[in-house]
Parts: sequence; C-alpha cells; structure tokens
Amino acid sequence: MDLEMVSYLSKLGKLTFSEDELKKMAEEMTSIIEIMDTVKEIDITYDALADNHNVYLNDLREDVSQPSMATEKILQNATQSNNCFVVPKVVE
Amino acid sequence: MDITSKSIRELREMLDGKEISAHELADEYFGRIEAHDEKIKSYITVTKEKAYADAEKAQTAINEGNASPLCGIPMAIKDNICTDGIRTTCSSKILENFIPPYNATVIEKLEKDNIVMLGKVSMDEFAMGGSTQTSAFAKTKNPYNIEKVPGGSSGGSAASVSASLCAAALGSDTGGSIRQPAAFCGVTGLKPTYGRVSRYGLVAFASSLDQIGPLAKNAYDCGIILNSISGYDPHDGTVSKRETMDYTSKIGQSMKGVKIALPKEFYAEGIDADVRDSVLAAADIYKSMGAELVECSMPSLKYAVAAYYLISSAEASSNLSRYDGIKYGHRSEKGENFNELICNSRSEGFGEEVKRRILLGNYALSSGYYDAYYGKALALKQKIRAEYADIFEKCDIILTPTTPSVAYGVNENISDPVKMYQADICTVTVNIASLPAISTPCGYNKDGMPIGMSIIGKQFDEASIIQAADAFEQQFTAVAPVL
Repeated sequence: MDLEMVSYLSKLGKLTFSEDELKKMAEEMTSIIEIMDTVKEIDITYDALADNHNVYLNDLREDVSQPSMATEKILQNATQSNNCFVVPKVVE
Repeated sequence: MDITSKSIRELREMLDGKEISAHELADEYFGRIEAHDEKIKSYITVTKEKAYADAEKAQTAINEGNASPLCGIPMAIKDNICTDGIRTTCSSKILENFIPPYNATVIEKLEKDNIVMLGKVSMDEFAMGGSTQTSAFAKTKNPYNIEKVPGGSSGGSAASVSASLCAAALGSDTGGSIRQPAAFCGVTGLKPTYGRVSRYGLVAFASSLDQIGPLAKNAYDCGIILNSISGYDPHDGTVSKRETMDYTSKIGQSMKGVKIALPKEFYAEGIDADVRDSVLAAADIYKSMGAELVECSMPSLKYAVAAYYLISSAEASSNLSRYDGIKYGHRSEKGENFNELICNSRSEGFGEEVKRRILLGNYALSSGYYDAYYGKALALKQKIRAEYADIFEKCDIILTPTTPSVAYGVNENISDPVKMYQADICTVTVNIASLPAISTPCGYNKDGMPIGMSIIGKQFDEASIIQAADAFEQQFTAVAPVL
C-alpha cells in the first residue's frame, strides 16, 4: 500500500500521522492486505436477500414516551460544557 | 483449600450455610488482589466501596432466604461493559476518564441477582487484539507464567479468574476474545449465540459479531451466569425473543450417542502438535463415554481470518467514528478548528492497533474496493454458515482446538500484526456463523502452560455444549497456577 493511499484512508478516519508513522503504517498495511487478498481466490457472490436472519427488525417496542436521561448525566463526560457541548467555531 | 479457588457452586453452599458472609468473602478476594494483582495486572479499577455495599444487599437477601444462584458471588467485569458511575475505559486513552451515565443490561441483570462487583478488568484496547498487551493501562500477565500473555482481548477477565482474583468474570467475544484467553489461562469461557445476551451498554467493536459471555472456573458456573444475563432486551434490537432456559439443565446427562464432529482443517498444519494431541486425546475420552466421533471438513477455514478481519474492521471503522472528543472521551488541547480538534483528539487517544483496524475498515469499504473485499467477506460469511449447517446435519457438537498454540511470550508477535491475526484461525468462524462455543482446559504442555479445547454448538443450544464441557471437566484434573 503506498503512502498516498494510507494518507487517504487516514483522512477518511480523521487520523493524523507523522511522516515516519505514515511510512511504518504503509508497510504494515501492505502485509495485512496480503492476507486479506486471499478472499479474492474464491469465486462466490454475496446474496444480500439471504442475510437477514440475525436481525429481528419486527421486534420493535411500543412507541411510548419514557423519561430522558438528566442533562447533567449527558454532560458529565464532556471536557468543555456550559449546559451544552462547547466546540470550536464551526461556521467562519 | 483457599476459599478464593472455589467454584460458584461451592461458594453458594458456604454463603447459604452461613459459613462465611458476603462481606467476608469480598474481603478474601480483595486480600488476594492486594497480594497478587500488582504482578498479574488484571484490574484497571477496583470498586471496593461498591463491592461492600453490594455485599450488604446480598447478605440481606441470603438472610431472608431469597438468595439467587449468584447472590453474594464476587465478580469482575471487562472494562468495555458500561457501569453507571464507574469508569469504563476500554483500555483506551480516549476513554481514560469516561464515566458511563447508565448500566449495560447485563450489569442490571447481575445486580438484580445481587452479585458483588469487585472491579473492572483489563483488555486489549477496544477489544482489538489477542494478548491484552495493547491495553493503555494494564498489560495483564498470564498467571501460569508472567513472562507469557494471558490472551485477549478479555485477558483481564481470564487472568483474574485463573489467579482467583474473582470467582468469575464477564468478557466479550468478537472473534475469540473470551475463548482464547480462557484457553491461555486455564479457565472455562463461554461465547453465547449471537442474540442470546443483550449488547446494550457493551462498547461496540463489530456489532454483528460482538457477544458478552462468562469466564469461570468451570462449565457449570458459566451456565449459572448465562442463566442470569441471557434473554430479550427492548434496548437491543438484535437480541432474540426466544425463551431462555436453565443452561445447566443437561449437565450430568450421558454423552452416550452424542455425535461429535472433528473438522480436519482444525487439526492440520499450523496447529502445534501438543495442542492437537491434547484435543484429540479429549476426543478419545468422549468416545470412551459412548460418544461417536465423526470426521468432517470445513473447506472455507483458510479464508476465515481474512473474512473476519474485513468484516470486523469495516464495522469497527464505522463504530469508532463516534469518538470525536466532544461529548465524551479525550479532547485534544490542540486544534484551531472543528476538524483539527477531532483529528487530534482521535490521533492522541487511539493506540496503534486501533488505528490499523480503522484504516483497514476504511480500505475494505471504500469505493473501488468494496466488492473485492467487504462484499467477498460477506459472501464467505454465508459460505462458512452453510458449511457449519452441513456439519450440524450429521452431528450434535463440534470439537476443535481453541488456539493453534499455548500462550506466547509478552514480547512475541506484538510488533507483527499479521502473525497476531493468523492466530485467530480456530475461533473466528464461530462469530461469523453466530454460534455458541465454550472453551475448557484439556491439558498442559511440557512447560505447564494450559491447552484449551472448544466445543461448538448449534444456535441457541448452549445447554449441550455446557453439558459436554462439564462431562470432560468431571474426569480432568485441573492444575491451578502458583502465584
């Protein structure tokens, strides 16, 4: 895997690497992709229609209101909050 | 015999017979944790205050004659299972100070049964790994030899049970993370059928594969814990509405006529001779009990590791996108704008292995590669499921090694992700096929390191694999680690 691809995948994953880290990651990803390439040897196709037996989508619960979590509990883990989550300016 | 080395069933008798109080029992375990956990490093957070409050509640239930099978039993919880008000780190710097505002459903259920929670135990970061050496806080060691890994990702759970630093523990299993550390640490670990136990409050790694399960001294104890944690949960849409049962109910029934499959690929090249010989010797013991051994094949096993890593990493890359440092988790002090803040928070918070999985998942899902990798992995999932279905047409249970080798050195394999991934060959297909499996010790190598065997069952047939594991355990002499 080349450095350009690793940079692209990092951008997708919102991760940043130093130049050395990027090189090391490219080497490791190349070896990892070699194993993943074994799936290309086999000629089979995924049948999406046959693949829903683990999801019990009809088991929805009744649509009734329930107590919400308290605001202070929701905010208890935020590093910066002021009765809401504080973030850097998003719109310039 | 030290009281902490007893099984849940034995502790139950002592508690109900008033030979010991729940408070005194918790004291015994805390004494042992203080004496030995500096060396084993299984706990990230010890919850002494809560444990004594739990013990008081448990004692009241015992005194009133209302004790459930787990009432007063000291347990440890893997640190990726949310505990209201108690730090839950996933062994990651990104969640170093995370205090969940709610309990996982399994915790609610265990609390209803009045367990005594001793603390939260270590794991590979975000459950990604098989050594517990990727933990940012406690790189757990194997109680049989502290130069060896305890396995992972539920290494803290397995080591704490093995070293008698708790009576039992909860772990989670995405590709073998309960069974592999159970095998390395000489304890019994059960991965239930996907959908048998609620995942609500389990920090998500790969949602289609993750499942919570018990690690304990024996199969009976695993069954007792499964009785408590299984069942429908309105908070998790993937949990089955199928009725639960007493998973210990088949224990003691004869193994006569039980058909045990031995898929030849699980005993082929790549599996160490001492492991293979031990598991095949266990197969012969089942035969002597009247079981019938059936040879069979799983041709797709050679693709299983790749299929597993493609599916799990794809799901992980999506699941881990929630860590942005805004609502919870590590927030970088650097970042001029919103995007930079998120990138810096994630890059500082995640460890190397987690980053590798995110990149692999993004690769498998990205345009131009999706069909060749992720699509093919899903097709292989269907093929592996079909191959298991074929085997279960002719057999009741399947017997395989849990791992290709015994526990390796703490510094081996860590820098070689490929080698680490390939070591998962014996366990990943069970998650891919949503099946239940139990690992129990079946021998020790020449250096005294434990060897584990896995018994795989049909979907929702946990009772049969617990029965089979118990039948073996009854004639097996387990050797406890010397700390």
